[in-house]
Amino acid sequence: MRGAPGARAQASFARRHHLFWWFRHAALVAWSMFIMFPIYWMLATSFKDAGEWVTWPPHWYPYQPTLYNYHQIFAFATMEKELSRQATEQVFSIWGAMGDSMLICTVSSLISLLMGTFLAYSVSRFGVGGKNFRYLILTIRMVPPIVIAIPILMYYAIMIPYTTDALFGTRISLFDSYTGLGLLYTATTLPFVIWMMLSFIDEIPYTLEHAARMMGAGRVYTIRRVVVPLVASGMVVTFLFIFILNWSEFLLALTLTHPNVTTLPVLLNKFQSAVEGRLYGPQAAIGTVITIPVVVLGVVIQKHLIKGFSFGMIRK
Amino acid sequence: MARILLKDLVKQFGRVTAVSGVNLEIHDGEFLIMVGPSGCGKTTTLNMISGLETPTSGEVVIGDQVVNEIEPGERGLGMVFQDLALFPHMTVFENIAFGLRVKSVADEEVRRRVLQAANAMHIAPLLDKRPAQCSGGEAQRVALARTIITNPAVFLMDEPLSSLDAKLRLDMRTELKHLHERLKATFVYVTHDQAEAMTMADRIVVMRGGFIQQVGGPLDIYRRPANQFVAGFFGTPTMNFLQGKVETDGGRLRFRAKSIDFLLPAGAGPGSGREITLGVRAEHVLVGKGAQPGRVTLTEPLGDETLVFFDYGGDAPLVAKVSPELHLSSGEAVTFGLDEAGYHLFDGATGERLN
Amino acid sequence: MAEAGARPSGGAAGGARIRAGRGGGLAAWLAQERVFRLIPFVVVEAFFLLLLAVPFLLTLYISLLKWRANRPFEQAFFQGFDNYFDVLSDVEFWWALARTFYFAGVAVLLELLIGFLLAMLCAQEFKGRRLYITIFLVPMMVVPVVVGYNFSMIYIDSGPLNEVLAPVVQLFGGDPRIRWLSHPIAAQWAIIWADVWQWTSLTFLIFLSGFSALPPQLIRAARILGAGRWQIFWRVQLPLLKPVIVIAIVIRSMEALKIFDQSVLLTFGGPGNSTQTVAFYLWRQVWQFNKFGFGAAASIILLVMFSALIYYGIYLLVRERATLQREGG
Repeated sequence: MRGAPGARAQASFARRHHLFWWFRHAALVAWSMFIMFPIYWMLATSFKDAGEWVTWPPHWYPYQPTLYNYHQIFAFATMEKELSRQATEQVFSIWGAMGDSMLICTVSSLISLLMGTFLAYSVSRFGVGGKNFRYLILTIRMVPPIVIAIPILMYYAIMIPYTTDALFGTRISLFDSYTGLGLLYTATTLPFVIWMMLSFIDEIPYTLEHAARMMGAGRVYTIRRVVVPLVASGMVVTFLFIFILNWSEFLLALTLTHPNVTTLPVLLNKFQSAVEGRLYGPQAAIGTVITIPVVVLGVVIQKHLIKGFSFGMIRK
Repeated sequence: MARILLKDLVKQFGRVTAVSGVNLEIHDGEFLIMVGPSGCGKTTTLNMISGLETPTSGEVVIGDQVVNEIEPGERGLGMVFQDLALFPHMTVFENIAFGLRVKSVADEEVRRRVLQAANAMHIAPLLDKRPAQCSGGEAQRVALARTIITNPAVFLMDEPLSSLDAKLRLDMRTELKHLHERLKATFVYVTHDQAEAMTMADRIVVMRGGFIQQVGGPLDIYRRPANQFVAGFFGTPTMNFLQGKVETDGGRLRFRAKSIDFLLPAGAGPGSGREITLGVRAEHVLVGKGAQPGRVTLTEPLGDETLVFFDYGGDAPLVAKVSPELHLSSGEAVTFGLDEAGYHLFDGATGERLN
Repeated sequence: MAEAGARPSGGAAGGARIRAGRGGGLAAWLAQERVFRLIPFVVVEAFFLLLLAVPFLLTLYISLLKWRANRPFEQAFFQGFDNYFDVLSDVEFWWALARTFYFAGVAVLLELLIGFLLAMLCAQEFKGRRLYITIFLVPMMVVPVVVGYNFSMIYIDSGPLNEVLAPVVQLFGGDPRIRWLSHPIAAQWAIIWADVWQWTSLTFLIFLSGFSALPPQLIRAARILGAGRWQIFWRVQLPLLKPVIVIAIVIRSMEALKIFDQSVLLTFGGPGNSTQTVAFYLWRQVWQFNKFGFGAAASIILLVMFSALIYYGIYLLVRERATLQREGG
């Protein structure tokens, strides 16, 4: 009877293994459904006809799929100042908000990327700003944005107009302007750029630059021909990451812009508050339009997301 | 002219002094190796010659010009780095051509000289590859080709062979020596490997703690180390050291240590009553000759010879080199003596050479 | 510094150009080491100084004024620390602060637990792992405003949540069309779940990379020494994961305390004030009631309170990062 205890242990091991397999997949499928359902519901609603938005019992899928919601939000027309609750005939063009979002996010992300990359280079190579500079810069990111928004509001809406009035005789207000919001987006994403680019630049051995210098290349030439090509992919990833952050940003856009400049999140909120969330179809369509490009970009840089969100504390 | 002169060269990093007052003349066409344990200041010295580090004080003279204020790329030097520093985003061709591209040399000329350098280093088939696709030895040759292409009068090498495996390292040593003979340029080479220094150098500079310990030819240093540190650093196995005292015995001086004593040769330096360290290399420990008793603890057959470790009652076992025909096993009792010609006497406190 | 500059296109070499500190044009000037070091630093510092430091000084000044923005700035007058007393004696300010910490605490706790469990289940290779990971990472890329909107859709009286619960509710004879967001506690949990939905993806990702960085030979060694699954978990894996856990806690807590978007989109602070976070509260005071002096004072108070937290958070980050690098290197 030599084999018996071994066989029993083996059988129990296999049973436990089997149970674990079921438990694992049950848990993971449950969470996947929790994750996917809100997104599915938004997609489904965006294809529903007005009559299907709030039926009881709710329709789990669009019975009569329609593109009317998308047709409405992509209309080429100016949007009414006030939204009406009923108005399925209304025009809700999102082109304006889309253009604003695109412009502000692209330009401010680019500026932030350039400034941050150069600073990251000098921090990595020369230890500029001291040993703790990289942590100091983190504090900017950790302050709640509302605490920044109030001073900025007064700065943009009061101090700058008064100062320009006194100096140049014209009142220039940064409140509700592309520049105003863009500058803030640059400032709030700079810490991310510096941290992400630091982690990329730190990975390049400095002997490469020494070698280039030994062969007679100057600083500018070395950076252009040696450093930049090596961090280029890192710069693309960083750019996409901060673009997503800026694209999603809501508080600063809500408090410091509108009605002249309206980003997409603010537009969606306008729908929600103005009509108490009754225009479900167009809202779902806008939500889909805002979300899809970002999720696509996000999947592209998925591997690197952790570098950004964890400030390079954790490497993947 | 590629003579290099270092005058009172000092480098401090904050409060740490890496190099403290180095004076050295490196002759034209010489293969000079700086050797020492890590942190001894050899790499920092090399970097000050290259210009990658600025000296805290002192002067670096290349040819007849003080180069302290001159950019590294303008000093007419070539350098091979420890990690080779090949540009991973460029092909081997572009890597080799880099030094010429910087100077905006015409494409025709670049192509001709790259091919020439690549042929000289036997890497012509690799030109379209990336450095990551090259083996360790190939990458090494690429790094050398990249350096020779601008015809520098001085080559600086910072432990270039440390990334290679043992076999390849031996081959590259020979190859570097050939390269030196062919180019007739000045080589300044930094390593922590004493065997590398012994086999390749015309002259060796031994450094420790930011100071030069000794400068001389490989055999000079091996035969007459200037102090106990140098003596212990060169040669495998490490030199045997015995701590003891000098006493007068009749008309002669006698070295007395724990459970062992020897007569010193006539005219040996130290006076009576002095604490000294006696150094003897393994080949000067004669097993089977002499009268001192010992007991074998370990044998290491190396093939062409055998190392025998034996206990004589002192603090550490002695090691001797014996013929492989001599079969000894641990526990066996032996007698041994020391060859007077191989005595190195060092001051017990300072470690300075006395004889 | 008399350093020779970058002359990628410079032709002849010679002694003359070696000491050409000046006169080499813009490129040469840029190439000088000191300049190169300082320019990015100075630019960024100046940027932060002008954009953030100056407004804070202004805020400090305005916080000492009696002023509402619907009146001209010139009519404001100095009133000392009254605004600060107003803020500190406003019960709703303290409630909003407490609520913020409550939301952040509960949400972060749930995110850590769920994220850790999911990461543990996905730590080893198995069939379908990549697909699960891809799905789990989607939420953090979704725009927060859209998350708020999505959840508001699910909670409406004729929404899918009520449909799912309908059989149970009808069993007790109730109307299944519950208006969840009108119940204070349900509304609070709605906000918490929206945050958990979105940010468990991040804790999951952090823990997953923590698990994959664990040296496998350590676990093998422990197994050979006879340790069981639980012993390995508690004595080997968990201690090694500690830095990662601390980093996840710090990063998530600092973000969760900013909670604002969901308060606006999902509940608009209601019902009553039951989902009013401190950010939402301040937003209302300044942007709806135009209490600028009050808002300025509250900003300063919050900044002081948060600096202590941030300082401690960064201290923890620095410490754990050092541990990670020591172990990793």
